[in-house]
Amino acid sequence: MSDIAFLAASLAFFFVAVLYVYGCQSLKGGRDDA
Amino acid sequence: MTPNGWLQIAVFFALLLLAAKPMGLYMARVYERKKTWLDPVLVPVERLLYRLTGVDADVEMGWIEYGAAMLIFSCATLLLTYAIERLQHAIPLWNPQHLAAVEPYLAWNTAASFTTNTNWQAYVPEQTMSYLTQMVGLATHNFWSAATGMALAIAFIRGIARRESKKLGNFWVDLTRGTLWVLLPICIVYALALVSQGAIQNLKPYDTVTLVEPQTVTAPGADGKPVTTTVTTQTIAQGPLASQEAIKMLGTNGGGFMNANSAHPFENPTPFSNLLEMLSIFLIPAGFTVTLGRMVGSPKHGWAVFWAMAVLWFAGVATCYWAESQPNPLLHGVDQRVATAGPGQSLSSGGNTEGKEVRFGIANSALFATVTTDASCGAVNSMHDSFMPLGGMVPLANIMMGEIVFGGVGAGMYGMLIFVIVSVFIAGLMVGRTPEYLGKKVQAFDVQMSMLYVLIFPLVILGFAAVSVLLPAGLSSLSNHGPHGFTQIVYAYTSSAGNNGSAFAGLNANTHWYNSTLGITMLVGRFLMIVPMLAVAGNLATKKIAPPSLGTFPVDNTLFTVLLVGVILIVGALTFFPALSLGPILEHLLLRSGISFS
Repeated sequence: MSDIAFLAASLAFFFVAVLYVYGCQSLKGGRDDA
Repeated sequence: MTPNGWLQIAVFFALLLLAAKPMGLYMARVYERKKTWLDPVLVPVERLLYRLTGVDADVEMGWIEYGAAMLIFSCATLLLTYAIERLQHAIPLWNPQHLAAVEPYLAWNTAASFTTNTNWQAYVPEQTMSYLTQMVGLATHNFWSAATGMALAIAFIRGIARRESKKLGNFWVDLTRGTLWVLLPICIVYALALVSQGAIQNLKPYDTVTLVEPQTVTAPGADGKPVTTTVTTQTIAQGPLASQEAIKMLGTNGGGFMNANSAHPFENPTPFSNLLEMLSIFLIPAGFTVTLGRMVGSPKHGWAVFWAMAVLWFAGVATCYWAESQPNPLLHGVDQRVATAGPGQSLSSGGNTEGKEVRFGIANSALFATVTTDASCGAVNSMHDSFMPLGGMVPLANIMMGEIVFGGVGAGMYGMLIFVIVSVFIAGLMVGRTPEYLGKKVQAFDVQMSMLYVLIFPLVILGFAAVSVLLPAGLSSLSNHGPHGFTQIVYAYTSSAGNNGSAFAGLNANTHWYNSTLGITMLVGRFLMIVPMLAVAGNLATKKIAPPSLGTFPVDNTLFTVLLVGVILIVGALTFFPALSLGPILEHLLLRSGISFS
């Protein structure tokens, strides 16, 4: 059971990290940005 | 402090200075895919790897793709290491001590630790990890995580160097070339050098030897009553140690094959091996300053960054060496002064020798502690928990600054470049002009991402440390109370977020609370900081390079070095000074008043 929980937690973290990549990208485009 | 101690510190720095340029120029050639003398051997291996994995080495990636590849690779290798740890008992290979499967919380913490280049170890390696796990699960990670950090630094440097490009390189190519051309060749020679000094390298079961002098030990028995036994034998752990030791230091990983880490005579047998180990921590990070200068076309800028790092290194080692040379005021009646029996015959170097190897002495313990925490290495040749309060504050403060004083392989360089962006931005604010860095305008998105990078670090450290000092699960692991115990907790989260991995010691981290929260801290401290860094790199790559004008802030002179050091100190001091005040500084003041905590 613990193994599945840690597998899920690891995958969830990296999934969130990929979303975070797109979150950072979405901040681009302000008035002063190139 | 002794002249001999200062001389050894000076020799260390002189050797580093000599090694930085050739190392940096070589790495620039490797990552620019120029010819090197290792090509006849390594190019066929490289091509074979690309063919097997389906990588097209000529296709470059934008920052999002580069970051996604890095995240996928790290996730896959984390899970692989977790599986090996959990299954080591069932794999009939290289487990002569028949060690059991690693417990899930500890296995996950360790997998996260080695994936992030942290190498925090909440276990006794020689009693927990089979040779297979050490080699396939952990030592390979030492290569992968180091090569990943180097690839990311190169991606950032390309972002600065390129003009109007959306590409930062190919992650798989950078990972492969860093491993094959830089890490592996040095490690082969380095491991043999360590073997020549006495480091072991074998796959045999542990030795049992008869003690020359049997020891009488009294310990609680099964019924709780004291039982006295006479110990006549000792188990001496064996294993493929030298090969792991080499990459442990060169890759600024720091996870020891033995629990005592580089204080163990098999890991660090002689003063010469000690010098090699310290130099190898800084070799690649120092070289990266030269690589930066070469690839952005401004060697002087690379050296300006080098000297900013060198100034902070010297401040750290001088403070630590001074603090450790002070007598402990609570040791009444003990002569702790420098003592000699005659010319050249030293009896005592004076000061605090608790937790230090007599083979290395105070100067080399202070230097090692400073170097290992300036970088994200985390190997130790002395116990930081036993340092005087201000001596122990130096490793902690080094990590809190973000490990940008030469820093981890690659991680130190990209961390420093974020501070460079912040410095250039502040300089621009001071003179009222649009900040420019090497001809590129630093704009809102670059500063937002840089500040995100800077803020995530204290957020995760101070957040988890604050919760830990409130919860019984956090407090029950302490071996000391008062400010020293507080420092133990803060150090654990700082070391994890900084991907350093050194332990202050004294904190039992092998609990569900610490294994899980420190594991999360390591992942956040690595990957959630890399993403905004890559975003800055990707954005810088797209910009034009403007020719220098009267309003351009030069980044290749002493003024820039001074500003950079100032920004690093102010950001670090403002963020963490309250925590340092409640920990080591308070402990120092109380110790001077004769108060200590058990």
